[in-house]
Amino acid sequence: MRSKKKAASPGGNIPSAITIRMYNVGFGDCFLLTFHSANRDRHMLIDYGSTAAPRIGHAKYMTEIAEDIKTNCGGKLDVLVATHRHRDHISGFTTDGDATGKIIFSLQPDHVIQPWTEDPNAAPKAMTATTTWGKKGKPDDKQLTSHFLGSLEDMHNIAATVAQLARKGVIRAGAVKRNQLTFLGDNNLKNLSAVKNLMSMGASGKAYYVNAGMKLNNLLPGVKITVLGPPTLKQSDSIRSERAKDPNEFWQFRSFWASQSMAARSMTEPSGVALFSNTANLPRTARSPNVRWFIEQSRAIQADQTLELVRDLDSVMNNTSVILLLEVGDRKLLFPGDAQIENWSYALRNKQWCELLRDVNLYKVGHHGSLNATPKSLWKLFRHRGDANAHDRLETLCSTKSGKHGSARSGTEVPRGPLVQELKMDSGFNSTDEYRAPDGLSRSITISITGGQA
Amino acid sequence: MPYYPTRKLTILALDPSVKDGRNMLRTQIEIPNEALDRGPRGYRVHIIDYDSTSNVLYPAARARAGVNRDDDLPDDPWEHVADNELLKDSEFHAWMTYGIIMKTLSRFEFALGRRIGWSFPGHQILVSPHAFSDANAFYSDLAQGLFFGYFPSLDGKRVIFTCLSHEVVAHETTHALLDGLRERYMDASSPQQAGFHEAFADIIALLSIFSAESVVGKMVDLGMPNVNATTIRRSDMTPAMLRSSALLGLAQEMGSELSGIHGQALRRSVSLPPSRDYLSSSEYYEPHTCGEVLVAAVLNAYLEVWIKRLRAIGDDAKLDRKRAAEEGAEIADRLLTMFIRAIDYCPPTDLQFCDFASGVLTADWELNPKDEKYDIRTSLLTWFKAYGIDPRSEGSPGRQAGSWDPPPKATVFAYDRTHFESMRADPDELFRFLWENRGPFNLNDQALTRVLSVRPCVRTGRDGFVLRETVVEYHQQLKVFARELSRLKIRKPDGMPEGTEVTLYGGNAVIFDEYGQVKYNVGNSIIAPRDKHQQRQTDRLKYLWEHGAFNPGASKIRAFAHTHRMRRTGWYRSVDIEQDEEG
Repeated sequence: MRSKKKAASPGGNIPSAITIRMYNVGFGDCFLLTFHSANRDRHMLIDYGSTAAPRIGHAKYMTEIAEDIKTNCGGKLDVLVATHRHRDHISGFTTDGDATGKIIFSLQPDHVIQPWTEDPNAAPKAMTATTTWGKKGKPDDKQLTSHFLGSLEDMHNIAATVAQLARKGVIRAGAVKRNQLTFLGDNNLKNLSAVKNLMSMGASGKAYYVNAGMKLNNLLPGVKITVLGPPTLKQSDSIRSERAKDPNEFWQFRSFWASQSMAARSMTEPSGVALFSNTANLPRTARSPNVRWFIEQSRAIQADQTLELVRDLDSVMNNTSVILLLEVGDRKLLFPGDAQIENWSYALRNKQWCELLRDVNLYKVGHHGSLNATPKSLWKLFRHRGDANAHDRLETLCSTKSGKHGSARSGTEVPRGPLVQELKMDSGFNSTDEYRAPDGLSRSITISITGGQA
Repeated sequence: MPYYPTRKLTILALDPSVKDGRNMLRTQIEIPNEALDRGPRGYRVHIIDYDSTSNVLYPAARARAGVNRDDDLPDDPWEHVADNELLKDSEFHAWMTYGIIMKTLSRFEFALGRRIGWSFPGHQILVSPHAFSDANAFYSDLAQGLFFGYFPSLDGKRVIFTCLSHEVVAHETTHALLDGLRERYMDASSPQQAGFHEAFADIIALLSIFSAESVVGKMVDLGMPNVNATTIRRSDMTPAMLRSSALLGLAQEMGSELSGIHGQALRRSVSLPPSRDYLSSSEYYEPHTCGEVLVAAVLNAYLEVWIKRLRAIGDDAKLDRKRAAEEGAEIADRLLTMFIRAIDYCPPTDLQFCDFASGVLTADWELNPKDEKYDIRTSLLTWFKAYGIDPRSEGSPGRQAGSWDPPPKATVFAYDRTHFESMRADPDELFRFLWENRGPFNLNDQALTRVLSVRPCVRTGRDGFVLRETVVEYHQQLKVFARELSRLKIRKPDGMPEGTEVTLYGGNAVIFDEYGQVKYNVGNSIIAPRDKHQQRQTDRLKYLWEHGAFNPGASKIRAFAHTHRMRRTGWYRSVDIEQDEEG
């Protein structure tokens, strides 16, 4: 435990301080926020997922963390946030295997916040239409939403196939590329058990399926919550280029993912099944020297193509992230999940929100410090940036594990070197990557509040 | 033993979804005749039917006796085969792919009057007609090949083969051929250079399709309903009618799933209303959207020329259907030649559409100075301008408006120390000529200069008039640090560190006439002599800097696979984003 400022103690339910506990889930996110007030502490859990074990910790680190959350919140959560569906953000909610999700379920969160894409009332639409583009016309908002959700379903299918084929070596790639394929594939699996658990926690308490512009000011006393993202499709339509408003552009996108999903499904059929029933498959021995080189090229190209495809769908999924701005007294905390620029660009158009963002005191670094999740225009807004001597310096929290994702050679490593450098220079930088024993599993920051209720 | 230089091959005119009555619309193409190995594997194309998704190598298509003979005209192997047999026969897929590639290649060679090579060190391009299960098709110079994917239809009942789309195969082949002609066009440079590869591939593919009479016949049917079996109404012959019913109708007939591969170039471009503002708006910075502007100008010019021609023939009320189709195919074919020849008259680096426009007008004017029958150049000029593509050169009085001018009289080239006969074939002799004339050519003496190609060619005009030219392409590159840019009067992009190494390109296409004199010198010097702000280099660096071309790992070469995919998933990315937002 590391205390930044000494907590004051005003009365009532109004928070006098916030403790933010950043758990070391390896590659993933898990934050427990405790709002201290005279009457009682209140607790908010933001994400709980992991795709790679921390360097420090035990095999059962997820269970240990669940137990620690339970202890720290005294067996009761006020608010639970699952920013988006990626495994590295929600795997802890699963009720299979270690069943850490059962522990979280027992904490009976009163309020469960998820992006609008998780709303069970907006059913994804399977791509059944086979008519020509021109006849489909412009989808209404409801159709648009359910077709978009249908695309997300397709992306899960593709991811599942890719992970499976990469593991089996059917997609032939070197060790680095194969790791990236399985990593991205696994992270985009559907996580059905976790999704169901979140849904039932929402049903027991109150579920909020949020989009940009919503305010959730009554969940915690003295805490104003503004949702800055994700924008709904209608909202992003308002910042879409003129050309993309052509309904065909949407149908292209829709059918692309549907086709890829169909193609992925056909790939899982056993190797060697021929496309043409009347043609025999040539045995490997029949591969003459002059075609072997080309075969190697083809396989490498296929691996590259597949990697690009899963990177694409990974971005789409990241952009469904909930972006929350918490205002407590004079303090502002920003939790953007894994939102990338397409999600952020809606919020960054809003002058009023930009004004609020200028005053952020604590920033949860987007997407584990990757290059595409801290837009430069956002970073430049933060006026509390400054060197170690700066008064009231910005705090940044980065939950990440280096060496898991991307590569420095291609400038895609996570966390991204130049970004980390800048964060270290201009903010109080905290990274789970730097956690060492004895507090290797979690550390916390406590921020005191002045200015009373907002 | 009789000699047959060409042979006939039946292919699908468009793709399996386009019907002629109850059958698939077919066409018979004429391709060079050669003794083929199994594959087919010929002197320029080697089909290797390898599927990397299922790791299956299909047996190479046979070249049966009768189909592959050199003592007589070979049979057309597929002429009498039923539709459903064609679809399920992998050998037909291989033959159709081979046929379209050979036809496109020979069309280029016919237009340019010489052999043309691939950009990679090899003479036979490797082609996989069933490369993988993916809704994509592309050219890869590294793999020296063309890859055509297949994918299940959305209802899951059929398999869609991209290799059975005439348009897709011609498009990808054009990428490969253009890369052979102008290897620097794949460099990152500007939205227009990136868009040009796509636009040119679209234009050549579409015009190739339209030059088949059966396809134009289909368009006539769609756009101009029959009065009776043989005639159409004159009042139906309006550009609007042709655009909305014939071209859009055709775009719709072409399988919706297949036409998605190239983002429906035909549909988008036909429905893009004329405006001079597209190319300057940031929305058109995407290579494929940018390319559509050029395609739109060309398609509109095509329709206008066709309508003008149809008005000039036939009687007051009606016109023979077949004649209308013949004219449409003839005009498409003529345009095809113009556009392919135009490449010889385009700068080898940093191409803009306005350079291409001047190239097109010059190429055609050189061979057909009169242009009376179709008046094609007038229509092209009108439509280029309508879409904001003003030819780079105005064209001196007495010459074609918009065409390149010869070097000014004041420029004197020294010819006395070089030998033209060897300059027609030898890059070193040619380089000597350039070096001796480095002043007139405005060569940058600090830069690396390389003669990329020396190509003698013989072209035949429509009147049988023969034009002999030698086309030379040279290229200069200058590596400097960002801090040195201001000395060259080039503005350093905002935020670029002083120590960044940047490469500046320049290069020219030089056309020599049959007496070995410089006829045209088209291109871009690294430092433009009369531009105080060095706008071209400044704009290029700004664009590259803002689009991440200097980020570590940024690929210097655009991958076509990527561009094609972006065309389809563009909707998602189309939210307006400030450039250079990545951390």
